[in-house]
Amino acid sequence: MLSSAEVSNRLSGFPRFEDMSLSLPYAPRMPKGMVRETREVVAIARTFNDEVARPRALELDRKTHEDPGYMPRDLVELANRWGFYTMWIPRIFGGRGYNMPSMSYFAEEVGSVCLGIMNVIGVHYLGVAGVVASANTRLAKRILGEVVRGEKTGNPCLIALATTEPGAGTDVEEVELVDKGRVACHARRVRGGYVVNGTKVFISMGHVSTWTVLYAYEDLKRPSETTVGLMVKTGTQGFSFGSHENKMGQRVCPASVLVFEDCFIPDDQVLFSTDMVRKFTKKPIREVAQRYIDYVVGATRPGVCAFGVGAARGAFETALKHASTTTMNGTLLINHEWVQSMLAEMYKNVALGRLAYTEANYANSHRGLYKILQLKPVYYYLRLMPQAYFDKVIGPMLEKDYSTRLMGKLSYDWARPEDQRCCSGWASLAKVAGTDLGVRNCQMAIELMGQTGLRQDAGVEKMLRDIKLLQIYEGTNQLNRLNVFKCLIAPEIPQARVFEEDR
Amino acid sequence: MLSSFKSEWKPFEDLARSFAAKELAGKTEEHDRYPFGEFFHDVLDKAYEVGFLGIMLPGELGGAGGGIGTLCTVLAALCRADSSPGGIVFTNALVQKILLAADARDIAGEIFGRASSAGGFLAAFPSYTHPAHQDNLPEYKRSGRGYSLTGPVDLLVLGGLARRAIIPARAGSGRQGSFFLIDLDHKGVSKSEPVFTLGMHACPAVDVRLDRVRARLIGEEGKGEEYFDRVLPAMHVAAAAMNAGIMRGALDEALAYARERFQGGREIIRWSEVSMLLAGMAVKADAADMCVTLACQALEQGEAGWSSRCAAAALHVHEIACEAVTDGVQVLGGNGYMKDYGQEKRFRDARQVQALLGSVPARKLDLIRKVSGV
Ligand SMILES: Cc1cc2nc3c(=O)[nH]c(=O)nc-3n(C[C@H](O)[C@H](O)[C@H](O)COP(=O)(O)OP(=O)(O)OC[C@H]3O[C@@H](n4cnc5c(N)ncnc54)[C@H](O)[C@@H]3O)c2cc1C
Repeated sequence: MLSSAEVSNRLSGFPRFEDMSLSLPYAPRMPKGMVRETREVVAIARTFNDEVARPRALELDRKTHEDPGYMPRDLVELANRWGFYTMWIPRIFGGRGYNMPSMSYFAEEVGSVCLGIMNVIGVHYLGVAGVVASANTRLAKRILGEVVRGEKTGNPCLIALATTEPGAGTDVEEVELVDKGRVACHARRVRGGYVVNGTKVFISMGHVSTWTVLYAYEDLKRPSETTVGLMVKTGTQGFSFGSHENKMGQRVCPASVLVFEDCFIPDDQVLFSTDMVRKFTKKPIREVAQRYIDYVVGATRPGVCAFGVGAARGAFETALKHASTTTMNGTLLINHEWVQSMLAEMYKNVALGRLAYTEANYANSHRGLYKILQLKPVYYYLRLMPQAYFDKVIGPMLEKDYSTRLMGKLSYDWARPEDQRCCSGWASLAKVAGTDLGVRNCQMAIELMGQTGLRQDAGVEKMLRDIKLLQIYEGTNQLNRLNVFKCLIAPEIPQARVFEEDR
Repeated sequence: MLSSFKSEWKPFEDLARSFAAKELAGKTEEHDRYPFGEFFHDVLDKAYEVGFLGIMLPGELGGAGGGIGTLCTVLAALCRADSSPGGIVFTNALVQKILLAADARDIAGEIFGRASSAGGFLAAFPSYTHPAHQDNLPEYKRSGRGYSLTGPVDLLVLGGLARRAIIPARAGSGRQGSFFLIDLDHKGVSKSEPVFTLGMHACPAVDVRLDRVRARLIGEEGKGEEYFDRVLPAMHVAAAAMNAGIMRGALDEALAYARERFQGGREIIRWSEVSMLLAGMAVKADAADMCVTLACQALEQGEAGWSSRCAAAALHVHEIACEAVTDGVQVLGGNGYMKDYGQEKRFRDARQVQALLGSVPARKLDLIRKVSGV
């Protein structure tokens, strides 16, 4: 038998055991209540699918072709009424506080019926992640509080997140690239705030959101060291919308052009800036900026994986139904061996994709953005205390500087770099896996269904149009593969350099 | 690009390319809005004028008298710009080939010889099926001196535009099929609105229900499958040529974009990951051209043993086309997903073209049956 020192030594070799099998150590630490909650979330999603998503998905897609100006305001109102925009906001901020991993299961369910509708619900949480990851608890309380009030009053308050610019897409996903890139969204420091000039493109749900998390740069030549995060309210002077894109799929979810012309953002809407970050960490700003990006996409990319798994499942289910009701040479398709094999392959893809987001979520739950929420005592404390307690006792604390400083220290100063790499690497791995499998299943379903698969009213062609986007946004799968290399492989190879290829 | 293999095809390629440059370039998104936008009747009329609607039809029947190489050259060049006109040319050629295979020259002459407009020259066909693989064909009955057809025809391509259609049908429960000519204005024909499909929106199809529709038999009764099998090798290659053209278009656009687009301080073509995507597309586009060219040459020279090779070549070309167009979107990033660029349409169209002449699995099984004799 080996001594425990020998075991540790063996397990720290590549691949490090702690990075390769996340569910093994973490599943037993999961609060049991999460299972009950997740079951409830899935049941809610299935109810929503039956009552809203399934009856409307195809009709809405058709409508967006008839009327390319369509905006999903009706859907947003419905989702708001169903409580989806606060469901995964922690209770300390007044939300319903469902556990974050349960959102992936939700995304798979709703995504299996319509990715566009799922995006109308889900993109908001990209914005929420952008707010929460900043460690700015005061502003988080204010903005998320508005979302909660929006739900109560029936006036939806959504958050969009804007990083992508006409000249910089992949570049803004990665600090190594952004300094070489062509960002143009400029934030000028003025008395009492910032003045922003620039354009953002492809911003999901921009037109129908109340708040936008906007990234701009104080020095366009050194963006990674001068990034500022700003909360911009729709309607602010100097902030307007351009067109929204004419997309191949996910057409119910607009992708907007945002234009900033001498747009003034007051200090109390600054999410983070170099000066603010300096109050809680001495780490190089570039490192902090990369960590911030990793927190956000580390949490949201497993969600995109779940979207992809949803499409993979939708394609599977549609093909299964077709095969169970259609004959070829007088025999039901489902009783042809090749069909059974193809359906099994599709089912397998769904299951593998689900494993990928589950693992990535374990990483986040124990080593990432929301790990505090998942500690058993914290989890039960947050679930069981009455809301009034959070509103009256915790709420005022969140507004204090020490609260932001503490969050900042926790998230940026005291967090281990290997945890950051694990979460970010797994998030990218899951994102690539789930979306590629999703595309694969949609393609297989189309092939299996022959001419029926081509028809919009059969559903699967829309899934193929919808799924393709997932290989592009939240970083192209190309960028995400490089991030897998950077986070999970390169650290073991001293001579490896990423994003510095010779021309 | 097929003409780089055989110079005889060059004039046709030039013709199709100049047609595409004049009639299609810059308007593909607008044309693709159908059925939610206008149909491009003007383009169809011009295609008729230059003879694209009857490329392989003999001159005495009103066609251009070209061979399969000519057809493929024109299809590839058209689809490089926009596959919808390609789909129309393909469907018309398919109908003409069936008529010729059945030796129904009289009917061909009546339809095409006398036509004086694009509308008159068009004939509809359910191009996304292999009739022998369809379990639910319409039923035909003798009625007086002719026949009558009853039953559904899904995705009748050009059914909303043409006056006539060729319809496969069976007698009662028998498996043997026959082809019939019907008049789409007959009172027993009810047509749906244009069916909204994945791709090739401007090569529209409608669902049709036939209720005791008067029909003329094409060739002999029970020989439908034989005729269809006779035209299949060439038409498989023609469909492959469409996807070869689509791939070429995807590669053109991806290369141009990758040379211009900067990320990380350089043109993205200088990131080797992007170069690899482009290389994969280039390999596939060239392989497709070679498959199509070789098959055309063999067919034109009447070489034996090419029918299953043509089917195989087509299956292969479609498969690599569907891969290449996915990468074509990817190279353009977010822009690849938008209708302002051509890649998203190619992504959809390639799949639609792949489905011509029946489902992929059915065609694969058919291929092995024919190759093995089992
Ligand atoms: C519908 C839609 C919704 C979106 N929603 C949002 C949103 O809500 N908020 C937001 O901020 N953004 C959003 N995006 C933007 C999205 O994240 C970007 O499109 C994506 O990051 C890619 O950027 P790009 O489109 O500029 O492509 P580019 O970065 O120009 O990439 C083009 C190609 O080059 C490759 N490439 C680029 N750089 C490299 C490199 N260094 N190495 C290897 N390959 C490289 C890419 O992989 C891609 O294949 C959305 C995009 C779409 C299409």
